[in-house]
Amino acid sequence: MIAPFELVRAGSLAEALELLESDPEAHVLAGGTALVLLMKQGLLRPSRLIDIGGLAELRGIRMNGDLRIGALTTHLEAERSALVRRHCPALASCFGTVATVRIRAQGTVGGNLAHADPAQDPPPMLVALGAVAVLESGAGRREVPMEDLFVDVFETSIGPGELLREIVVPPLAEGARATYVKFLPRTEDDYATVSVGAVLRVDAGGRCADVRVALGSVGPTPVRARRVESALRGERVTPARLREAAMLVREEVDPIADARGSAAYKREMAGVWTERALRALLP
Amino acid sequence: MKLDHSARIDAPVERVWAIVSDVPRAGRLVPGVGPVEPLGADRYRGTLRVQIGPVRLDLAGDIEVTSRDETARTAALRLDAADHRLGGAVRATMRLALTQATPSTTDIRIETDAQVLGRIGELGEPIIRRKADRIVSELIANLAREASS
Repeated sequence: MIAPFELVRAGSLAEALELLESDPEAHVLAGGTALVLLMKQGLLRPSRLIDIGGLAELRGIRMNGDLRIGALTTHLEAERSALVRRHCPALASCFGTVATVRIRAQGTVGGNLAHADPAQDPPPMLVALGAVAVLESGAGRREVPMEDLFVDVFETSIGPGELLREIVVPPLAEGARATYVKFLPRTEDDYATVSVGAVLRVDAGGRCADVRVALGSVGPTPVRARRVESALRGERVTPARLREAAMLVREEVDPIADARGSAAYKREMAGVWTERALRALLP
Repeated sequence: MKLDHSARIDAPVERVWAIVSDVPRAGRLVPGVGPVEPLGADRYRGTLRVQIGPVRLDLAGDIEVTSRDETARTAALRLDAADHRLGGAVRATMRLALTQATPSTTDIRIETDAQVLGRIGELGEPIIRRKADRIVSELIANLAREASS
């Protein structure tokens, strides 16, 4: 049962920010897919919810060289958006793998990031793409690289009084390719055992000009696979080299044991799925 | 849920023991602990605030030193605390052992066995374990700072 609370509908972004500032204990309601579950479980008993669902400023997908996705965009809208598909097909398909279609139609891109569940799909993909979160408060606006947004399980660097306004995804460099893969050994709508977002650019000579790899579900936050990246950058990318580099990820992840497998198993799978992701990106 | 922490502290064992055997003083080194009041007979009352993402736990309860060996420099504590607003409780035993590594350094070991009951448990053991682990690690780091200053 949900404990009684006051629901305040913010009519504008400015009003939402004022409400947030005046009541730091209030929680923000967007799609509600995570928040309402926590309230039903009795883990959250907010006295006040600020409903930001009506804020036009946080809606919509735009292009101005970068792709800008408003925080209130649902996963379904992002998945089906022609702009997102053109800008980065892998990102569109990543949004299309979040949970189930009912949740995708309700949950928002911004809410998902602010919830900071380490098993979610968009965070590792957005980290690999070098995306940036735009945060807004009464004091102004600041931009946080996606990998610095996540601090711990369910914890972000979004400060008191701040709202996630939009995310900015820079274009892929010429010749770069991106992918998102996840390992679902149980059911299609389960959390991933491990997931990998990767971007790879191979030059005309067959060398790795740039690479970014980030993993989900294998640490308290998305894990940027820097050792894998530096083992590849500047090197000729052969299947053998990819495999060798991918296996380095096992030393970078910090998985927990749960119903999806032991920590050791997930560590191995992180290597296997990093290799698969990178291999899919070879020209 | 069992946790086992060991560390070496840059301070003589006598000084580290003096801090940890003073429960209200040691309590100040635990992140999130409010004032610890003595109840007599080596029992104390205190509060612990833990934030896990959007979820805040306000635990209030008692600490009892169940054994204390000044010569071996070991002690055992029992903690029993509840969050009445959310509905849940934490019961834990902690065993603490200090050994002299060198005349100016001390090895500390803290073994914790905690049970998380009620609604708090819905957060899941892995998340609770990570948080508990961090609290004990910070306690040891704060203790090392205080003992060596």
